[in-house]
Amino acid sequence: MSMRSQVYEWDAGRGTAMTALTSIGQRISIFVGGIGNNITKPAETTATEFVVIEDIAVTPSLGTMSSLPAALTVRGLLTGEGADGVDNGIAGPRAYVQVRINTTDYFLDPDNIPNDGIPGAGSPYPRSINFQPSFNLYPDVYVLPGQVWDCLVTFYSDAFAAAVAVEGELQCFVKYTLYDGPDALIANKLLEMGISINPGNVDWYKRSLLQAQA
Amino acid sequence: MSMRSQVYEWSNLQANANQLRRTTNDLPVAVTANREYDIFTGGLGNNITKPAETTATQFIVIEDIAASPLIGGAVQIRINTTDYFQNPDVTDMSGIPGLASPYPRGANSSIDTALLTAAAVGTQNTLKSFDLYPDVYVLPGQTFQILYSSRDGTTALSTQIVSCFLKYTLYDGPDALIANKLLELGVTINPNNVDWYKRSLIEQQQRSRAVAGGPQ
Repeated sequence: MSMRSQVYEWDAGRGTAMTALTSIGQRISIFVGGIGNNITKPAETTATEFVVIEDIAVTPSLGTMSSLPAALTVRGLLTGEGADGVDNGIAGPRAYVQVRINTTDYFLDPDNIPNDGIPGAGSPYPRSINFQPSFNLYPDVYVLPGQVWDCLVTFYSDAFAAAVAVEGELQCFVKYTLYDGPDALIANKLLEMGISINPGNVDWYKRSLLQAQA
Repeated sequence: MSMRSQVYEWSNLQANANQLRRTTNDLPVAVTANREYDIFTGGLGNNITKPAETTATQFIVIEDIAASPLIGGAVQIRINTTDYFQNPDVTDMSGIPGLASPYPRGANSSIDTALLTAAAVGTQNTLKSFDLYPDVYVLPGQTFQILYSSRDGTTALSTQIVSCFLKYTLYDGPDALIANKLLELGVTINPNNVDWYKRSLIEQQQRSRAVAGGPQ
């Protein structure tokens, strides 16, 4: 079990359910943000672990029109309003997800300033006929041994049925592969060699070591 | 982190004129028909601080562009002063229609602004007919713009929300040098080929050391 495919699903309505109006416009850590389901400590790799983040996704949104009132269900999403209570015609939470490694944000605007991250409309979770991905995380994001990483959700529209979020209204999904022990060492070696780190290449490196030994 | 997948999303949503970044009080604003809006610094919707450009140590590969399949929306790429998409008679065009490259994928292609119910947003699911291949390269030191235009513009009755989406890979530092080298060699620039070039450099170095009898 030294290479393991892993997922983490965050839901603002689980655990400590989110109060939309106090969290709107804020960056929320899906691991230790104190909102929704959380884990016991920040996500980090030990000296013998290597994490490759392969996909991130968040609840999608759809722009409709200014005169559409709040609280209508459009394609499974509620239309919302801004923090000022004015209807904005956006169905869904207008959510984004950013990846942070140590203190560095991964996604930048073309002026090299960190942005909100991947929009839910570009990488939706869950995927459906109405919302299909325009984005895939390639090249993957590497979390090297000893680094701390996080996924930060920001939403800009109060598209929730009540003051407190319920399950399914705002979700985030992360898919990653955890390399542990000898496989983490191989992952480091592949990184030095400029080879993409994936289970196929780790297995290839093991085979080439065995062949060299024989 | 010298090769990074990046995205930029623009919408005609803003709370103030010439607004940088998104806010929680953004509202839809009118889009004038047949006018090109730079999604980075066009003054409409969310913008950034300066025109998009690559530094001497950056190389950008644009892999996808898309727009809302509404109000005759289209999206054009401009590198320095040259438009990428042209008519067969080499005259200007508005670019890739949102109907061919929709954002979000699966979005509605029409909206009934007279209705104030969920049914206003039709039942269509627009899928993409267009793939940006070969990719578009923005070389070091070049400025690029993504221009959104609408044939119909938003209606006075109710302002439709339209968006644009850009997906690109940013190569920085040594990887940008390799990208330039691949361009010279006529090899497609993508993360796999950049990695392949790095590996071939390492192998070449190892072979030269072996021939010289030095350490491996």
